[in-house]
Amino acid sequence: MSALDLIPGELGVSGFWSEDHGSRLLSAPALEVRRMATVMTAHRARFVTITALPGAEEGGVRMSYHWDLDGQLLTIATCTRDNHMASIFDLCEAADWIEREIHECYAVEFEGRPHEHLLLRPGQAPGLGLRGEDE
Amino acid sequence: MSHRIVIGPYHPALEEPYKLELTCDGEVVRSADLRIGFNFRAIERLAETRNFVAAIALMERVCGICSNVHTLSFCQALERLAGVEPPPRARHIRVVIAELERLHSHVLWAGVAGKLIGFKTMFMACFAVREKVMDILEAISGNRVNYAMNRVGGVNRDITDPRPIVAAVDALEREVAREIVPVFTSSRTARARCEGIGVLREEEARALAVVGPTARASGLAEDIREAAPYAAYAEIPFSVPVEHAGDVRARLLVRVLEILESCRILRRALGALPGGDWRGPEDEIEFPAGTAYSRVEGPRGEVFYSVTADGENDTPRRVHVRTPTYANMPSVRVMLRGAQLADAPLIQASVDPCYSCTDR
Repeated sequence: MSALDLIPGELGVSGFWSEDHGSRLLSAPALEVRRMATVMTAHRARFVTITALPGAEEGGVRMSYHWDLDGQLLTIATCTRDNHMASIFDLCEAADWIEREIHECYAVEFEGRPHEHLLLRPGQAPGLGLRGEDE
Repeated sequence: MSHRIVIGPYHPALEEPYKLELTCDGEVVRSADLRIGFNFRAIERLAETRNFVAAIALMERVCGICSNVHTLSFCQALERLAGVEPPPRARHIRVVIAELERLHSHVLWAGVAGKLIGFKTMFMACFAVREKVMDILEAISGNRVNYAMNRVGGVNRDITDPRPIVAAVDALEREVAREIVPVFTSSRTARARCEGIGVLREEEARALAVVGPTARASGLAEDIREAAPYAAYAEIPFSVPVEHAGDVRARLLVRVLEILESCRILRRALGALPGGDWRGPEDEIEFPAGTAYSRVEGPRGEVFYSVTADGENDTPRRVHVRTPTYANMPSVRVMLRGAQLADAPLIQASVDPCYSCTDR
């Protein structure tokens, strides 16, 4: 079996990859993101970025974790719970800046990582920048 | 006793602002901290307020050097969303513009590296070559910085006669091979300033997920043009230079070899330019609800776009951009550890940073 076949089972996800306009997509509402980081790095997948999308159907912020596995773009999507998400920074150092940016722009609290100065703007208040004025 | 040296946000080596805070023991750098955000323009948020066509012009302004890769990535994502396939001629023209952009970006970087090495004659020689690349881009597009070449489903301008461009590329290649390559490959001065400096080992590069020439200089043979071909790259044979030393010299060599490879790609793309349409669909294009993704190998590495539409409004619901410098810059902290303070400007410049891109 290829790594692509193995990953959903290793993540404890019952679904399988679907094709989604340029990426293989795995929707996993109950995803354990730290387990995902361990599994993906074990398969030598390269972390690409995280896309945050507020106002997801599931409620909260939809978090899409993008990885490159041998040239294939993989997207593993889940949602924040009460605007909280476990940090993968200690397992995948490349996620450092994007976690900070999402905290800064969408006020998502990443658990288990030090709180640092804002990445892109001066000041201390998170949750500004990319959210609409009505939010 | 350790001391702290703050460089920036206005920087002697770069036009763009960012801040580097170094902790040194004497002349040796012990740790480095990076501060970005001085160019933050909230472009992702602004894109949500523009219609899909106006957003193309906005995304072109993410970067002043690799402006084309941003419109190319954005248009490719929109094409995937709408189910539109650009005609073969447009795909070849996209390769031509992308490689000309890589050429002028790499030559610019070589000039900056020459200056930082202390070889100012090389800076002048590189910028004279770059000027000629920009002349070609101007001849094709009418523009020297923001080329406005990409549209959803095709390109905005045709290349009516490829022969003078091929001749110009041939002349450029000869000039680069005669004047620039020997300095960076065999000059003792360049070697002394670059060899063993700012090392990023392969495992460190993998852990930090660096991209582009920075990754390829550390032994990671990653290139989106080859791994996930777009435009007409699947139809054009080319090689991907990889070095293994992970030092400044390796990053320099990769870019110099890529300059020559870009000349070969340009010749092949222009020589095999298909006939037919290049503009793509003239009718209004509908963007259904959903998210589409696109990746392009920019001069500094992989550019990633995620574009979400709600299917109701004529504006994107969300545009997310991950630029190569955003991925590469944290690796400078590793490269600087244990380095001589005097090498710090060259080491941070060796990833070819672009803060306009990074901050968006």
